[in-house]
Amino acid sequence: MEPVPDTLNYLILGYAVLFGLPLLYVLSWWARRRNLEKDVEALKSLEEEQKRK
Amino acid sequence: MTKSNRNLQILNGVTVVMLLISTALVFLYAPLERTMGQVQRIFYFHVSAGWVGMLAFMVTLVLGAVYLRTGNRRWDMIAAASVEIGLVFTVMNAASGSIWARPAWNTWWTWDPRLTTFTIMALIYVAYLMLRQGIEDPERRARFASVYGIVGFVSVPITFFAIRWWRTIHPVVIGEGAGEAQGTFSMTSPMVQVMLFCFATFTLLYFCLLANRLQLETLAQRVEQLKARVMSA
Repeated sequence: MEPVPDTLNYLILGYAVLFGLPLLYVLSWWARRRNLEKDVEALKSLEEEQKRK
Repeated sequence: MTKSNRNLQILNGVTVVMLLISTALVFLYAPLERTMGQVQRIFYFHVSAGWVGMLAFMVTLVLGAVYLRTGNRRWDMIAAASVEIGLVFTVMNAASGSIWARPAWNTWWTWDPRLTTFTIMALIYVAYLMLRQGIEDPERRARFASVYGIVGFVSVPITFFAIRWWRTIHPVVIGEGAGEAQGTFSMTSPMVQVMLFCFATFTLLYFCLLANRLQLETLAQRVEQLKARVMSA
């Protein structure tokens, strides 16, 4: 019987990519959310200022 | 906490649990394939990612048609989010396939019919996102993107059937493929069970990501509305 080839390194690399890519994508949401929340705050204060004038 | 937020938290929790079970099944339950060794275990997530990519593009096709019929921009918003998520899964599928190909085909990449049609499909959907970025008027953007999403979907069945229509080294797991295929293996019953479980998990993961992405998009729309109010004042 032929020995089973040692391809464990490729398996580890493959799953690092399979878990890493969606993780990076979800982390990018976190950055986007933070920026949007800052925008909401800034726009709200601008609106308040306009109302006061 | 609102009811929709609570439902989203439950969906997130169930998805994480399903992902953990899938990972355990892949590494602890699925049998070792003797010709390729451990790398064959990439198969379960690789195929599931490919499935979700195509599902996401199909959702864009359907919602594009619904938008053109109803004119409700919410459908267009979901269609766009679906393309973004579909592309993430498409890249996951391509990258994991390339890593699997190295020991199985002795190369990271080859311009085989499946890989070529796959690349064209991915580029079509990258162009979908670029098209959206390039149109200012929301109504016009939604209309153009919907038509593009419907026409662009032609690339999906072509990619799916490429390994059945043309001579290719990419294996066909379900059904019969070309004789030149390399890295083919017969699926045993536990392998089929794990594959089906991973399919279900990835489908749930897609809906979970879509729901979370839509929450972010709702916030982005709020910013747009506030901007419009401030500009018009």
